[in-house]
Amino acid sequence: MDRPIAYDKLAREDRFVRMRAREVAELKVSQGLPPFPDLSSAESIKERVHGIMVGELQAMEGAGRSVCDFPEAPWEFTMDMARQVWDESRHVEIYLRLLDHLGGYAGEFPETTILWRCACAEDAAARVAGVNRGLEGLACDVFNQLVHIARKIGDPVLERAVDFVLADEITHVRMGSKWLTKLTEGDAERRRRAVEFQENIDERFNLGGVRREGDHDAVSISIAIDVRRMAGFTEEEIERLIKTTQRSQVY
Amino acid sequence: MAQPLEGTFSAEHSARLLRNYRYVVERTMRALGGWIALTPELSAKLLMGRHVWDLAQHCDAFGRRLPELRAHAHESEPANPAVATFMDALEEPEAPDQTVERLVGVYSVLKPHLLATYRGHLARANPVYEPPTRRILTRCIEDETKHVVAGEEILRHLASTPAAKERARVRQARLDGLLTSAGGVVGDGMRLLLSTPVEPLRSDLSDDAREFIRLEAATAAWPVPEGLGDALTAFAAALVARDTDALSRWLAPGVAIGDAARENLHAAEYTGHRVVAFARLGHQHLVKTRLDGSAGSVVVLSRWTSAGDHWRVAALDVVGRDLRPA
Repeated sequence: MDRPIAYDKLAREDRFVRMRAREVAELKVSQGLPPFPDLSSAESIKERVHGIMVGELQAMEGAGRSVCDFPEAPWEFTMDMARQVWDESRHVEIYLRLLDHLGGYAGEFPETTILWRCACAEDAAARVAGVNRGLEGLACDVFNQLVHIARKIGDPVLERAVDFVLADEITHVRMGSKWLTKLTEGDAERRRRAVEFQENIDERFNLGGVRREGDHDAVSISIAIDVRRMAGFTEEEIERLIKTTQRSQVY
Repeated sequence: MAQPLEGTFSAEHSARLLRNYRYVVERTMRALGGWIALTPELSAKLLMGRHVWDLAQHCDAFGRRLPELRAHAHESEPANPAVATFMDALEEPEAPDQTVERLVGVYSVLKPHLLATYRGHLARANPVYEPPTRRILTRCIEDETKHVVAGEEILRHLASTPAAKERARVRQARLDGLLTSAGGVVGDGMRLLLSTPVEPLRSDLSDDAREFIRLEAATAAWPVPEGLGDALTAFAAALVARDTDALSRWLAPGVAIGDAARENLHAAEYTGHRVVAFARLGHQHLVKTRLDGSAGSVVVLSRWTSAGDHWRVAALDVVGRDLRPA
């Protein structure tokens, strides 16, 4: 088997339309719309949920590649990645059903593949740093806010389902922290590169100021400080993330 | 009645069997994990995603049992080189249009064989001094029974045409031959399997697979706004007819069909068209239209914008091409 695969090998049914994230954002801005769904209406919640669904799909595919691509990694690493595949497959199922619950369908909005590209890092340490700490950290922010919004609009189905997904994501961040440390033991340079990769992803997913510290109702993506602490991010890491969002350029 | 103390296996032989199982299960687990990204169909993706973790747990249980049998932990070993050849062949299909081949290898060939082998082993493992192995086999048998039923359900869904059924048959015959040449995954000429009665599989264990298929087929109809449906049909008909004048009437001012797209569109004759994707991008719509002909097909992605009552194409590209050799 080819290990790893090129990122353009990602296979999709015809019903999905794939586009670059930048192009999607630019076309929406050109229509006088916000570049990313802001959770201010039922439609924007549906669009956000669709974005999460394709993100979960790519997370399942990425974790599957980690099981496949690193046969020389410690067995416990493979076990954690295999468990993550199962978790992500349930998340895909959950979000497909939530889309249905919200009156949407798979393929209703274009799919961007930034997440998948991050999951194609060649080094296992970089991959867990970028995916499990960077992207799953972002998932903690997004899902924590979605639980709040669901509670506010009185949608217990959305609230309960996302609450359980959030619990899984916290576990995945912890796995990422564990394997970043174990895989880079005695190799400071490898650790530096992996952390740098994660920081680039964090910066990218600040989405030009869309992710910020603030009230769930006031910002498009609010940083889930308490959840991040629970997932094992240090105070220093959380503070650094908040600082980078403050210097990120508005789209 | 007292349970018999006579045993069929030595501890050493039992360890070898577990290493043999672990070899094929680990390779299958890694293959399924890698294939998820290479497989377009959602039902098959979810099936594989569900089973990777079960197989990892089977591997883990075999690997942890090994030191209890005076062997090294987490060691895998093919029974013979022909088993490795069989697994190489099982892993081969990686192209997006080979989902049926991937599933046949795992769910029609390997897993039914593994299930029968585990059952044969369980029937012979001594109940007095091999309960740790028996407990692992019992769990594996339960999981593999579900996997086989679910896999067959997805295969029936994905290989429903005569051509796909023929591909499945050819694939199964090839892999069955390789597995038989290897003497099965433990290389013993499949004696365990042949002498053990196999209970029929219960189809009510395939609930998950039916749900995966339902999720894959959930979109019943595209919510196409009034006026756009007619425009899409007329535009696709113009693409099929290569009617340049008709096409240009649908293009927004300043929009032209690029040379690369034109070359792809003209690479074959098409006789039919259908919408295969319908997405929203703000107030605009992204539409994938598949043009089919005897020589192949292309998928055209167009972005539609409305001006008053009129829909126009603001961008167009060919995003997929599948041409059969002449």
